[in-house]
Amino acid sequence: MKSNDLWELEEKEFDSRLMIGSALYPSPKIMEEAIRASGAKIVTVALRRQAAGEGESNPFWELIKELNITVLPNTAGCHTAKEAITTAMMAREVFETNWIKLEVIGNQYNLQPDPFALVEATEVLIKEGFRVLPYMTDDLVLAQRLADLGCTTLMPWGSPIGSGRGLMNPYNLKTIRKQFPNLNLIVDAGIGKPSDAIEAMELGFDGILLNSAVALAQEPVMMAEAFKYALQSGRLSYLAGRMQKRDMASPSTPTVGTPFWHQFE
Amino acid sequence: MTLSINGERKTFKGDTLTIQELLEKMAYGKGIAVALNETFVMKTKYSETKIKDGDRIDILSPVQGG
Repeated sequence: MKSNDLWELEEKEFDSRLMIGSALYPSPKIMEEAIRASGAKIVTVALRRQAAGEGESNPFWELIKELNITVLPNTAGCHTAKEAITTAMMAREVFETNWIKLEVIGNQYNLQPDPFALVEATEVLIKEGFRVLPYMTDDLVLAQRLADLGCTTLMPWGSPIGSGRGLMNPYNLKTIRKQFPNLNLIVDAGIGKPSDAIEAMELGFDGILLNSAVALAQEPVMMAEAFKYALQSGRLSYLAGRMQKRDMASPSTPTVGTPFWHQFE
Repeated sequence: MTLSINGERKTFKGDTLTIQELLEKMAYGKGIAVALNETFVMKTKYSETKIKDGDRIDILSPVQGG
């Protein structure tokens, strides 16, 4: 790996381009081991209602703090801009960060982000001093609107959350990449296996955010490591630049001096 | 007065209560954030924010997320 290929995201530097979720693991111990094995330096977390009487004990949060990596809270489950804005403000206080993975769901069947509510909430949150990382559809015009509002990172989906279907529409992702060469682009959601991540990185994406692909693997810790190498491989492949495709075969072994060649026939 | 706390109806004696008093009564500790009628309330405002009958309070804490 090129030693100087550090990733600058929202004015912080990272030696990994993977962002990993903290949900759905078989146990807290496996979660911890998988996050470490993935090499990810950014972990996503959420906020939910807490029952009374639990006092100050929150074993999950203690475990995440021990990892000593950057925390990215989300607004998962919000269906309106107002809900997302309130959740983001609550997250900023609890997690002591102005980073927010902004998620506003517009359809319950495929958990598709609502582009209109996303723009509305982004505008308010940026004015409130947040660094908004929007989870969005792969729509070019939406990308433009969010960039105009001041987002420097965009997170289009590969396919619906938890579907593991990989990149549904590489053409759209490629177009967003071409149109916004200076933004940080992350494929968020839909990654099912390491080769999906490689494909996204080879399109020139800057990073990957995933959760289910690791947490729901048969061996989550092993899969986390597989993704670590996939991200490195995909990034190197992108930087190296692939060969041109040809329509015809072209021998790779020299033809000069080929034995048993009946050149006088 | 009757309040909705995390979606559950709860009745308290008296007509007024601050968020600070409510959290103490219900034994909430640190590491939480509070919304009153779907609007965020900063920690520094707990002792001066009054709750009235029918208010909805959400008390959130960190959980796993993707």
